[in-house]
Amino acid sequence: MSDRKTERLINLTLALLATKRYLKKSEILANVFGYEGTQEAKERMFERDKDDLRSLGIEIEVGDLDPFFEDEPGYKIPQKSYELNVPNLTGRELALISIAANFWNDSVLAPNAQSGIRKLQSLGIPATLDFEFRMKYRFENPTFVLEQLTKAIGQKSRVSFDYDSTSLKERHLEPYRIVFWNGYWYLIGMDLDRAAVRLFKLSRFLGELTLSKKKNEFEIPLDFNVADHLPKVNVEIVKSATIRIRKEAGILLRNRGQLISEENDFGTYEIAYENEVTFLRELIWHGVNVQIVEPAELKSALLDLLNGVLK
Amino acid sequence: MSESALDRTARALDLVPYLLEHQGISIPELAEAFGVSEKQINDDLVLIHMCGLPGYTPLELIDMFYEDGYVTVSDPQSFKKPRSMNKIEMTSLLVSLDLLKSLRTDDVAKEIEALKIKLQENMRFENPFVVVQNMENTEMVEAIERAIAKSTLLRINYASGTKDKTSVRDILPIEIYVANGSTYLNAWCQSSKGDRTFRLDRILSYEIIEGSVVNETRESSVQAVDSLPIELLVSKSARNFIEDNRAIIGHIQEGEQLRIELNPIDREWLVRTILGFGGQIEVSKPKELALEVVSRARAIKESY
Repeated sequence: MSDRKTERLINLTLALLATKRYLKKSEILANVFGYEGTQEAKERMFERDKDDLRSLGIEIEVGDLDPFFEDEPGYKIPQKSYELNVPNLTGRELALISIAANFWNDSVLAPNAQSGIRKLQSLGIPATLDFEFRMKYRFENPTFVLEQLTKAIGQKSRVSFDYDSTSLKERHLEPYRIVFWNGYWYLIGMDLDRAAVRLFKLSRFLGELTLSKKKNEFEIPLDFNVADHLPKVNVEIVKSATIRIRKEAGILLRNRGQLISEENDFGTYEIAYENEVTFLRELIWHGVNVQIVEPAELKSALLDLLNGVLK
Repeated sequence: MSESALDRTARALDLVPYLLEHQGISIPELAEAFGVSEKQINDDLVLIHMCGLPGYTPLELIDMFYEDGYVTVSDPQSFKKPRSMNKIEMTSLLVSLDLLKSLRTDDVAKEIEALKIKLQENMRFENPFVVVQNMENTEMVEAIERAIAKSTLLRINYASGTKDKTSVRDILPIEIYVANGSTYLNAWCQSSKGDRTFRLDRILSYEIIEGSVVNETRESSVQAVDSLPIELLVSKSARNFIEDNRAIIGHIQEGEQLRIELNPIDREWLVRTILGFGGQIEVSKPKELALEVVSRARAIKESY
């Protein structure tokens, strides 16, 4: 079955692409190979095929043939919209984009990046490989929802999903943008339950993402800017602690800090930190080689953690 | 088998212009380029061969030859040029370029910007992706890339992620990857004679060893990793431990607490990491490991 339908779709594309004038439906049904059965069956087949080709992104133009055939529109595929046109693409650029496409590795968008590359490679431009680098990056699979989210944002459909958090589990969102930031993928959009723009980490999505069946349900505000909504790491007050570190230990900590004083086996450093939780984990990781001198609250938070282990 | 006629049509439409620019390509190469089996490519070619323009005489059919598994197209009919890209193809490529750009400070970043404009020239397009640049050690990344391209050794001073120690190692960089907010480097480690992974922010310094000789003689695993099964009870508030360490987690059992089984792993690292979660992660197996965590916690407490 698949064979016959594929064959018919290819024949239809060829015929509509080759024609200079609009082809009448009756001409198509009579001449393009693959249309069989009763008149009604053929017509239904043709309607479906048109939709299918359009879903592949092929533009089918509908036009009037001439005044005598008012009731019968004609069809053709404009060559200009069908064919890929990247003016003055150089071999170096083609190589660059091929290297970049390796980023997707085996994630869900990899086949799309590859088919895009194949099209560029079909333009007849020889790729040159004169780069000083061979990027071999890979990202951990940025989850299966990327493709659906791309679609949702494109057609402005609302999404709902279960989100792994202590408070609200089911979320309803007008999706604005997918953001790659700090090594993680996020979705940013209008959280309909909270009536505010929120950021969601894709790795915390649970199960399926549901797309609303409607399109154009919302507008992304014209002045929307992702940067305005990222947690303000730089603006947040950076805290500082005094830490004793044994010599030969905690090299990364020492590199980050400012040496204040030295005694036999220990040096005392002033170290800035942003996030108390991660900072405490880092300090504890160093065991007895690292000690908090000040502030007292940080010290008691550390002792709380240890008591938690000992309870 | 479950491939839709539509997916197949899309591939067939792309195959002909691709063949036209890769005359005499072999079936295995073609199968690889399109990410399908050789049988599938053969079936596609047979099908395409039967397609053409109304009339369907040999003159009007798409004409190609196979000879000893090599394919040549002599008449592509109207399929001379590739199809324009669809939105998701364009999106994937633009994001790839953005990601590449976010790692670079040299002229390549400018080239990428120009290329992106070129690609979008004929497509009105709203890109749903935003890549926020925040890579810090681009200079090191660029040096590593050059080492990868030229297969040269790097001598690095590295702060271990499992023990609080540094070591000087000669490594042959192989691949950089980004995961869990950190950038990692896979490399052949000449010093320990095995494949190792390094976190870039733990590389304290590096130098390129010009004219170095790489010796890839492998020695049997230097670090004997204890393979007794480890089981942890993780409370939900500590689930970022799981998120950040997916690679070492064998099995997760949901419940009030998450019961997770770990793949074989360096215990020193595990003990140090668990301590920082203040009781939100408990070791349920093996017992010695649980005791080790407790005695370390006690030692740190006593140091105050």
